[in-house]
Amino acid sequence: MKNRLEEIRKSHGVKQEELAAALEVSRQTIGSLENGRYNPSIILAFKIARYFNMDIEDIFIYEEDENEKK
Amino acid sequence: MKKNNYKDYLIAALGLILLICGLVIIKKVSEPQDIMRALPYIFIGIGCGAFGQGMGQIISYRVVKNNPDILKQIEIEKKDERNIAITNYAKAKAYDMMIYVFGALMVCFALMGVEFIEVILLVCAYLFVIFYGVYCRSKYEKEI
Repeated sequence: MKNRLEEIRKSHGVKQEELAAALEVSRQTIGSLENGRYNPSIILAFKIARYFNMDIEDIFIYEEDENEKK
Repeated sequence: MKKNNYKDYLIAALGLILLICGLVIIKKVSEPQDIMRALPYIFIGIGCGAFGQGMGQIISYRVVKNNPDILKQIEIEKKDERNIAITNYAKAKAYDMMIYVFGALMVCFALMGVEFIEVILLVCAYLFVIFYGVYCRSKYEKEI
């Protein structure tokens, strides 16, 4: 699953530390999410979407083809 | 982190008492027989562990007591879903490894001609862990 978290976070002028504190997760989690190394739980995905007042689909992109190949 | 840490003081005190008891037994009992040969060392081992654990908790509590920022950060790190996922992956990997290591150890013990009762105890412990895994799986199948 890809995401636009880094792009959205930067466009809102929010630092990784600030986002991590607001979502009550570690800064490393935000970093891993942005790098695509970690897929969040549905709860964290909702928290992120609500933080930016967006829909989950606007931030996280589900790639069906890639998943089917696996 | 919990505010009331009287349990840590209790654990540290019990650990210290066990440690002292172990040392006293070694010093006082000149010719130990049977269980008394191992008991003081077990006391010292458990005592050191409990004392270290208790003191560690007390010191960490005192360090963070007057610093709510550190306290909050520790809470976040502890509850962080990625950290929990990493810990669970690591535990699962270690469990898989343990299955092979213990299996190999049982074969080695059997080939070395170790006493039957010791091999049986190891096999029982191994099977207990395996069946506990099966039990947990069946339990979570129903719950999740």
